[in-house]
Amino acid sequence: MITIRKANDRGHADHGWLNTWHTFSFASYFDPAHMGFRSLRVINDDRVAPGKGFGAHGHRDMEIISYVLEGSLAHKDSMGESHIIGPNTIQAMSAGTGIVHSEFNPSPKEPVHFLQIWIEPAVEDVKPSYHQLSFEPQEKRGKLRMLAAPYGDGAEANGAALIHQDARVWASELGAGESLTQTIAPGRFGYVQVARGNVLLNGQKLGEGDGASISAESALTLAGEGSDGGEFILFDLA
Amino acid sequence: MQDVNVVIVFYSRTGTTEKMALAAAVGAVQAKANIRLRRIPETASDETIASVPGWKENHDRMSWEYIAPREADAAWAEGLVVAIPGWMNLSSPEVKRCLDTLTEGKIAAAIGPEGLDRALMAAGLIVEPLATGVDAAECARLAGFRVAEAARAARR
Repeated sequence: MITIRKANDRGHADHGWLNTWHTFSFASYFDPAHMGFRSLRVINDDRVAPGKGFGAHGHRDMEIISYVLEGSLAHKDSMGESHIIGPNTIQAMSAGTGIVHSEFNPSPKEPVHFLQIWIEPAVEDVKPSYHQLSFEPQEKRGKLRMLAAPYGDGAEANGAALIHQDARVWASELGAGESLTQTIAPGRFGYVQVARGNVLLNGQKLGEGDGASISAESALTLAGEGSDGGEFILFDLA
Repeated sequence: MQDVNVVIVFYSRTGTTEKMALAAAVGAVQAKANIRLRRIPETASDETIASVPGWKENHDRMSWEYIAPREADAAWAEGLVVAIPGWMNLSSPEVKRCLDTLTEGKIAAAIGPEGLDRALMAAGLIVEPLATGVDAAECARLAGFRVAEAARAARR
């Protein structure tokens, strides 16, 4: 079963400096019907104005993945990590026992558009950790590029970030007519979030910002739709 | 365990006390608190700021990264950590601004010059003692942790 979550049905807040769409309940958007899907708790589709951002704030017991689509994002945290990330980079942080971090758009001119994904960890109170990995754009073109996977799953060998949950996350960009198929093991679940453009998921159209929760499906066929295709994030969840 | 709200109010010139404030914030988060970090705005002149190495660049950065305490923060806070440089005079305008942001009856911890704890008590706060025998950053972390725990306990 594939259940589509249309982009405009998501929670929305425009604070001027931040224009954000919440797939699941977050901040002042609360809908008991959309509290997350399996261990996937948050997909925020954020656009932050130049020079603006989120000041120092705390997190605990959460796997936090940031994926920049356009622009750049400056990250600084209590572990001493201080980085500016752009597109085609995975940033994943295990908040564990507690971290404090800030995220700003360091550009004086360009907005930043990024997805922030929260996955609930399988274990609490892990030591906080930070992973950041960059890849070439062609690594996600026409195929799945792994962004994150659990410890012990060979994620490091795939150049992916490690998370404390039985969940795998990929990004892919499919041009018009390009397609790929991914199997979903029996009893497992999936989620697709379209980052930009248009894709077909098992023949169903998904536009920019649309999502789809997937259960009791054995295979997913994704294809680039329209003149330019699209980019999406795929989750495989327990 | 219920979330509890902790505000960390600090004044820092070259970033040393900011690190203590961040350590306290981590401690509070470790104790499952929601946190807000608030910086006391600078009162020194541009010339004075430029005269001390590292002050201007940290001032510019911190002015960008933090906002000043607002009235809503005092109402939101159930616990407070106040962090100011250890060399500062308690009668300085920065410290006065810090104390002005506080609300009586709240649980607090004081990281700073000798007598800051008594100044907070005089402002009507319930001040948690600091840990001894640990380094400054660990002391700050524990202060944040203890304030969060004590504020949570005070609710019951």
